[in-house]
Amino acid sequence: MSSSAPSAFVAFKTLLRRELLVELRTRSLLTSMGLFALLEVVVVGLGVRALPSDETFHRFVPAVLWVCVLFAAVVGVNRSALADREKGLHAAFLLLPFDPALIYLARLSSAFVFLSVVEVLLVLASVPLLRLQIPQEPWMLAVAALTNIGVLAPGVLLASATSSARGSEALLTILLLPVVVVVFLGAVGATDALAAGLGLAGAKPYLLLLCICGAMFPALGLLLYGRLHEA
Amino acid sequence: MKDLGTSSMVTIILAVLALLGAEAALWLSYFYAPVQITAGALFVVSPTPGVNTLNLYESHRIFFIHLPSAYATALCCGLCLVGGVMHLLSRSEKWDALTVSASEVGLLAGAITLLTGSFWADYAWGTGRIGSGWNWEPRLTTMLILWLAFAALLALRGAMPNVQARMKLTAVYGILVAPLYPLVQKAIEIGQVSHPRSFSDLLSAPEIGTTKQVATLGLLLAFGAAVALRYSANRLSFQLQKERAA
Repeated sequence: MSSSAPSAFVAFKTLLRRELLVELRTRSLLTSMGLFALLEVVVVGLGVRALPSDETFHRFVPAVLWVCVLFAAVVGVNRSALADREKGLHAAFLLLPFDPALIYLARLSSAFVFLSVVEVLLVLASVPLLRLQIPQEPWMLAVAALTNIGVLAPGVLLASATSSARGSEALLTILLLPVVVVVFLGAVGATDALAAGLGLAGAKPYLLLLCICGAMFPALGLLLYGRLHEA
Repeated sequence: MKDLGTSSMVTIILAVLALLGAEAALWLSYFYAPVQITAGALFVVSPTPGVNTLNLYESHRIFFIHLPSAYATALCCGLCLVGGVMHLLSRSEKWDALTVSASEVGLLAGAITLLTGSFWADYAWGTGRIGSGWNWEPRLTTMLILWLAFAALLALRGAMPNVQARMKLTAVYGILVAPLYPLVQKAIEIGQVSHPRSFSDLLSAPEIGTTKQVATLGLLLAFGAAVALRYSANRLSFQLQKERAA
């Protein structure tokens, strides 16, 4: 019988499977993120129903949806980190015989899956509620994926550290929003350009910004997660 | 505590140089730099490209504070990065003190940049009413975000009871905040471009160039002295806490 540590891929697969299975059984994250995002859509819908023209309304809706995604992500990463902290799982994970960066990667991947599900639900709900016109551009998928990574990568990193602080929910929001507003700027700009029919050429500077954030934040997270939690 | 004595010396020298530099910059900006009345390349500051309707007159003098403050904000961002990386590598509290001091002074320098920029924008891009020049274009917005990030870094210090955890999170956040400044610089290239790309696009008189250089040096020394002063104070405060706990 071998006593060596599992390979990085096997360890990552096990951790990711655990995250997904726990969520499949409890559905606590998807419920809280999804309900929070839907409530935001309803509140915004009520607030903006008197906007002057359809054109203004249609330009406004994608920005509102990205705000909903941003706050749903904050709720998700915070709840996930708090649940692990309360059960003492966070400390237990760090004792496992593999690189802590893999824990970060598994958390990031599972959060990405959950946020993508919430986004699909949000778009489906916004078609009747906010008269959303979905841009018929395949590049929108890239915008959504890069935005999710750009928001979740610093989110997972900071949530793991703030879960032990006083008023962790407020603290995480205060810390995370200034960092990810750049991602938000890219997401809104790219969506606006694609919805206006400008194509890839119009959305290019914003996509570039999203690519930079989508590469830089996960790289920093992988480098810093272990340092942040070492004894 | 020997290095604390050295940092006090550095603070005094920097403060004296800063005072001289700031006085010189103030004198030059009011009595040496001419009134800008040439409408040459002024369309870069007009909200409608190609329309040269705006003369800067005396308003350009505010740039001699605005620009060095923006440089100081960049410098503070860089210091946060250095302090954060070095703290994670060495675990020394002096690097934590550097990150905190840089974010405190960055908050001040960022506020000056935003306020002076807004005052000028109200005249140049707006109607003169307070807030009429704020147009949410990328560079303005990203500078505001950077300022909020410095505020958030200081807010987290009060919320983390565990000293070691607080220092580690400060270091990590200092590293996350640092890439925001290059994004502020690059933000001019996307979206609407009311903000001048560079100082020389706007003003070309040689006296203005000289004044800009002196003002930059003087104010950077002043912000440097502020960082050094806060660094000494933060280290003394940490020392005091340690002695109380012992």
